[in-house]
Amino acid sequence: MDLVSNLYLGLSIALQPHNLMFCFLGCLLGTLVGVLPGIGPTATIAMLLPITLGLDPATSLIMLAGIYYGAQYGGSTTAILINLPGESSSAVTAIDGYQMAKQGRAGIALATAALGSFFAGTVATVILALFAPPLAKAALNFGSPEYFSLMVLGLICAIALAHGSILKATAMIVIGLLFGLVGADLYSGAQRFTFGIPQLSDELNFVAVAVGIFGIAEILRNLQSETDRDVMVKKVANLWPSGEDFRRMAAPVVRGTALGSILGVLPGGGAILASFASYTVEKRLSRTPEEFGRGAIEGVAGPESANNAGAQTSFIPMLTLGIPANPVMALMIGAMIIQGIVPGPNVVNQNPDLFWGIIASMWAGNLMLVLLNLPLIGLWVRLLTIPYYLLFPAIMAFAAIGIYSINSNPYDLYTLSLFGALGYALVRFGCEPAPLLLGFVLGPMLEEHLRRAMIISKGDPSVFLTRPISATLLVMSLVVLAIVLMPSVRKKREEVFVEED
Amino acid sequence: MKKLVASLSIAAALAVLPQFASAQTYPERTISMVVPFSAGGPTDTVARLVAEAMSRDLGQQVIVENVGGAGGTVGAARVAQAEADGYTLLLHHIGMATSATLYRNLTYNPLESFEYAGLVTEVPMTIIARPDFPAEDLQGLISYVKENADDVTYANAGIGAASHLCGMLFMSEIGTQLTTVPYQGTGPAMTDLLGGQVDFMCDQTTNTTSQIQAGAVKAYAVTSAERLEQLPDLPTAAEGGLASMQFGIWHGLYAPAGTDAAIVDRLSQSLKVALKDPNVIERFAALATSPEPEENATPDALKAKVESEIARWKPLIEAAGVYAD
Amino acid sequence: MTFNRSDVGAGSIFVAIGLFFGLMTLYGLDIGTARRMGPGYFPIVLSGILIVFGIATILKGMSHPDVERGPLPWRGIPVLLSVPVLFGLLIRPLGIAPVLLITTFVTSFASRRMSLLAAVALSVGLTIFCILVFSIGLGLPLRVFGSAVEPWTRPIFGVR
Repeated sequence: MDLVSNLYLGLSIALQPHNLMFCFLGCLLGTLVGVLPGIGPTATIAMLLPITLGLDPATSLIMLAGIYYGAQYGGSTTAILINLPGESSSAVTAIDGYQMAKQGRAGIALATAALGSFFAGTVATVILALFAPPLAKAALNFGSPEYFSLMVLGLICAIALAHGSILKATAMIVIGLLFGLVGADLYSGAQRFTFGIPQLSDELNFVAVAVGIFGIAEILRNLQSETDRDVMVKKVANLWPSGEDFRRMAAPVVRGTALGSILGVLPGGGAILASFASYTVEKRLSRTPEEFGRGAIEGVAGPESANNAGAQTSFIPMLTLGIPANPVMALMIGAMIIQGIVPGPNVVNQNPDLFWGIIASMWAGNLMLVLLNLPLIGLWVRLLTIPYYLLFPAIMAFAAIGIYSINSNPYDLYTLSLFGALGYALVRFGCEPAPLLLGFVLGPMLEEHLRRAMIISKGDPSVFLTRPISATLLVMSLVVLAIVLMPSVRKKREEVFVEED
Repeated sequence: MKKLVASLSIAAALAVLPQFASAQTYPERTISMVVPFSAGGPTDTVARLVAEAMSRDLGQQVIVENVGGAGGTVGAARVAQAEADGYTLLLHHIGMATSATLYRNLTYNPLESFEYAGLVTEVPMTIIARPDFPAEDLQGLISYVKENADDVTYANAGIGAASHLCGMLFMSEIGTQLTTVPYQGTGPAMTDLLGGQVDFMCDQTTNTTSQIQAGAVKAYAVTSAERLEQLPDLPTAAEGGLASMQFGIWHGLYAPAGTDAAIVDRLSQSLKVALKDPNVIERFAALATSPEPEENATPDALKAKVESEIARWKPLIEAAGVYAD
Repeated sequence: MTFNRSDVGAGSIFVAIGLFFGLMTLYGLDIGTARRMGPGYFPIVLSGILIVFGIATILKGMSHPDVERGPLPWRGIPVLLSVPVLFGLLIRPLGIAPVLLITTFVTSFASRRMSLLAAVALSVGLTIFCILVFSIGLGLPLRVFGSAVEPWTRPIFGVR
């Protein structure tokens, strides 16, 4: 009964006209910055923080939350249309979404992403309302051994999901892990691989790495075949998914939502792990795994739902414990403090209108995003008809501005060039870029948790096996690894690989 | 054509006399306030509140620009090298003084590369432990820690962080070295503390007040001179018998060395106005801190603070032998 | 003798990256022990793995036939890889407007279909669009004109 009265309180706040208006404004802004590659929600929210001073706390947080999940929608739009993932979570969407766009199915991919995200957002909102406090407690049981094991599982899944050679996929992950270590060592302060340049002492900029290996490499690939074929899609077929499409996306959306809701609660790599995990699951369950990487609708539906659900449930630790799961949540905490609200376990009791108002507004916001995005699909798809030689200079300009504005650091642009070169060379030699990116994100966390677990356990490696959650995760990793290495599965992979060449 | 010639000659004139023109009419465009940390942290919040109030006083937008990296030294170096025209400012915390020792090859000198505008605020620290930690008060904590030095773990948020400095001071005061567990920021450290993965830590009230009020962690002491309004039951470190554990994370406003004295003075005046702004006072209270009194929002007070804090932390850091580069 | 140039190429890159990180670690980072891992522990393990995988990839390529790949974009590679560097070097002294004009103009010539007129039009149009959206619309802290050109642009465009 509590839930009903709480949701009623929330809805009565969220549906006030001015709150609806700011929610819409946030969603709109979020979609825009999501569509412009490079500029993510973090930069936008940081810039808008001072403006929210004049609003009341619930309104300002409703608007900022709208920017956050609006950007998730917008980010998948560029990932699908021009293969530029603005955020880690849309990197997976780019794999099959962009292939769909190339086949003239951009509209269907965008609609799938929008509908999948809406479903995931709705379910995650209910989960947030039902389970926020107990889920937050569960997340506290995750210590370093559990995180380490979880990341091992994530990396092994990434190897499993890569199409083509296992050897190359594993090597790409290791490269990602190594580049993820560039910067000052958390434990000793030692500068690693920075050549004494202070601007490199924080990690390499994620957006620069992602845009380099996906975006620049893609532009170069398109320029390479400029002479013999027109790279952009000329005729865009129907925009709306067919009955067959709906049948194929239903189960992946449900599974993606479940995965995303669970993993999103965990601080750190939750959302990105969720979209990678969902992709792996869908590929494993599919009767036609060879379609993955070539425009499988399941490869868009699952990860998109997973990352949107994860984005939503990542509010749980922030709202209930006052702990940020990602940089955007850190900014939301900043926004609360500016508003005079101290984030933490007390928010739900002392500011119930705020807590439930935000939750209810998320549902309203997700609905608005669908209404906002579905009519726009036609417009986005028309972007594809712009001649490519006019489009790519614009992509380069947006990417450069976006990357520079994150930290005003010119070295981030040099990183972009370096990874453009590396990405293009590796892709040309038949390596997939996605595992590298996952390794890059997880590398520092994997090391951090491994070393912390060993410090706390006084150097006893058995902690990974004596703690039940950690042990379960490691057993799951072994199972996945065994499946991948099974002779029959390997043979099938090799066949697919040969076909691809 | 005539217009172009005219504009070019004005441009030339302006290029010759930039100092004169700017000090008279300052500020005439948007001012950038560099925060050497990422957006959303406590320093960023302080900067945004102050920038907003200063914008109203100066009649020009003061925009916060986050230039994170290397414990705040990248942003500080950026400002040290910026044009001394009053349009690039720096809001930095205690790290201005500690990085002088923590980093052995800085490209700037905290005592020479900046003009000082004034102190902004000083956030006190609190010593807290996991909810089921055995000790009941500060003395209990000290004796437990000394007896179990091999087993007790201290969490901090990386080298140079407030929690790192506080831990260094605490261990030096009680004369016992403990196992330190570094985290990527205060958030994850707090998660592990709440979950009982690590034993205790010492961090800014900004991050700890709500957890203390909710009873989610055990609190032992606050490092301010007097008890806090927000936490009236929490004794000061001096009350608990550690009088030398008195320090806070102070924040100052700087401009590049060589900035016109009239401009620095204007900035200091504006800072004083900002610190009396009711909104700033109210929001600072939510951070469990308060603006510095008027006499501290001055160039001299900040200069004295930087000098005394460099002298205070240098021996501690050198004794611990921990460097950030 | 035929060999798969994709595999040999990729494998060589793996070995090169592995050696780079491995040698940097050996000559400068403390490796430590399993209990107290130093900053070099993780990188040295990873570099070792990468070198082994690289050699395996090369060996595999030696026994496979080569496959056809498309031509290299000889204009695109130098242009696209130098434009971000140019942007990074010039953004602080020049400001966003001149940098966008220059970099967009240069980028345009990565494509063989671009004409001089189209490149000029695109550079000017894109620069105006970006300033409207990013600088004025979103209020990013980017200076339109940097300090190096500001004295000349100030009488024409005012203070930006």
